Amino acid sequence: MVARKTIVRYATACLLVCCFVFSGQQSFAQRDAVPTDEAIIAEGEKLFNEYQCNSCHNVVGKKVGPALAGVYDRRDLDWIYSWVKNSQAMIAAGDPQATALWNEYKPSAMTPYDLENDQILAIMAYVRNVEENPPADKNTVTGGGEEGPAGGSGVPESYLNIIVAALIVVLVLILIVLAIIIGVLKKYLQDKENISEEDKEIVNEKFSLVAFVKSPTVIGIVTFLVIALAAKNVIDGLYTIGVQQGYAPKQPIAFSHKLHAGEYEIACQYCHTGVEIGKSANIPSVNICMNCHSSIKTDSPEIQKLYAAQESGEPIEWVRIHNLPDLAYFNHSQHVKVGGVECQTCHGEIQEMEVVKQHAPLTMGWCIDCHRNTSLNTQGNGYYDRLVELHNQNSATPMNVADIGGLECAKCHY
Amino acid sequence: MLKNKPSKDMIQKLKVSIPMLALALACGCAAKGDYTGLEYAPQMYHSVPYEPLTQIKDEEAGKWLSNREDEKGEFYNSNPNNPYAQNVRKPVEGTVRRNPNDMLPYRLEKDDITAAAAIENPFPASEEIIAEGRRLYTQFCQHCHGASGKGDGKAGVAYAGVPSYTAPAQRNLSQGHIFHVITHGIRRMGAHGSQISEDKRWKIARYVQTLQQQ
Repeated sequence: MVARKTIVRYATACLLVCCFVFSGQQSFAQRDAVPTDEAIIAEGEKLFNEYQCNSCHNVVGKKVGPALAGVYDRRDLDWIYSWVKNSQAMIAAGDPQATALWNEYKPSAMTPYDLENDQILAIMAYVRNVEENPPADKNTVTGGGEEGPAGGSGVPESYLNIIVAALIVVLVLILIVLAIIIGVLKKYLQDKENISEEDKEIVNEKFSLVAFVKSPTVIGIVTFLVIALAAKNVIDGLYTIGVQQGYAPKQPIAFSHKLHAGEYEIACQYCHTGVEIGKSANIPSVNICMNCHSSIKTDSPEIQKLYAAQESGEPIEWVRIHNLPDLAYFNHSQHVKVGGVECQTCHGEIQEMEVVKQHAPLTMGWCIDCHRNTSLNTQGNGYYDRLVELHNQNSATPMNVADIGGLECAKCHY
Repeated sequence: MLKNKPSKDMIQKLKVSIPMLALALACGCAAKGDYTGLEYAPQMYHSVPYEPLTQIKDEEAGKWLSNREDEKGEFYNSNPNNPYAQNVRKPVEGTVRRNPNDMLPYRLEKDDITAAAAIENPFPASEEIIAEGRRLYTQFCQHCHGASGKGDGKAGVAYAGVPSYTAPAQRNLSQGHIFHVITHGIRRMGAHGSQISEDKRWKIARYVQTLQQQ
């Protein structure tokens, strides 16, 4: 009986010691369990790039997922293995660490990866290597990259300013010298005795500004210029009546086409979804903005307006820029999908506009001009075969929009 | 003589002020900033029927030339019977838009991704379909997923975390899975079902397949 009790006591003690020792090992020896062998590190780097870990993780610093540096200190290696293989299963099983991670980073879940334990360990080895021996050349490389274009862009601006200033100084000096020469010559001539009366008059002549301005020639020229300019202005101004070219209203959200369409190269059709299927190109609804802005620039006050609109359901009232007169009909799909016209042909370099303005005059003359000059692409469209044949019998120019009724009044006015 | 003098002054003033006035008028016609510019025949420019993308809630707008029976301004264009007096309405709940390919509406919910993965693409992997899929891919996917599907589009790099189609976890995803993900989104990718019609989504899936296999 006594012996039995002792055994139990010994066993418990051993178990406790073991637990202590192992837990101690786990918290200290984890980093050391990650190999520092160069071949393994190279293998890890290859895997890191192949599996694109860096699209979600940085070694140092948070990205979509947490930073990888020191993960071997924070977690058990076995935990890391099973997390990489199937993180969602661990969350579903209620693992406390996994659940905490999910709560911090959802809805971003880590994709399950079909990797072996030693492959995951190799990736850890690569991460450890990057953490412990941060690539020293990285900073110098980026530094050099920043200096490069500045140095290579020809003469720096400060030099140009100096050159201009020097030129101005030289010009002023020349003027002063000329003035001095005139003065000296005048004095010389005045002092001279044997000079005719006529020449004396010329020497002593004073320039009178009033007389110059009042001379009929000057008045005539100025009057003509004023009238001509005024007439030109009036005629130009009359032509702008009913033409909204240049209209650039302030929008409820400071949306930049330059950033979205220019810098990030998002296609026009991504947001203006109606452009190939209907009359209007359409203004995107909030859910399209939220495809990115659910997690991009969430702190910006402009983006907060999107969240407010989504919450309340109240539409964002964008101001319409292109107000085609009600008397004319225009269809986007007919031009963009059928005609293959680029958006920029009518809307200008939208991808460079911070604030969008009406680029084209949208006058009838402007429409007609394009209809007269645009030839049709009838390639592979059997409907046009006979038409093209008939056209070519009577005309030397290729068939254009005007030839198939592009100038008919009722095409646009009905 | 004395009587005539002021009138001469007047003529002198008129001589100066008429061109000035004309100048000011002419300069004031052009559209700029928030100003749409002077309109010729505004009654022919502004729509009488509800114009879906033009919303003028101000009942006084264009009152000076209005001869409308409801005594509102000529430019007023809003439908007070709609929520927020909008001219556009959402489609009625439960209605289905007809499509040229007579496709039935896609009814699987976001969580039904396993069932979705088993659905076959109704379009063959023909050259034409793939070319059309490629065209649509450049419009709707390329800015994030990149031209070759490596997740290296300009917007994708800024967004971070866009996987490559050739990554081992993505390489073998089925057509039904791709279609479902475009429709409802997955993880951080948003739902694109409202932007891209069903037939277009299937065509994009065909092109994505070629990117998976590269």
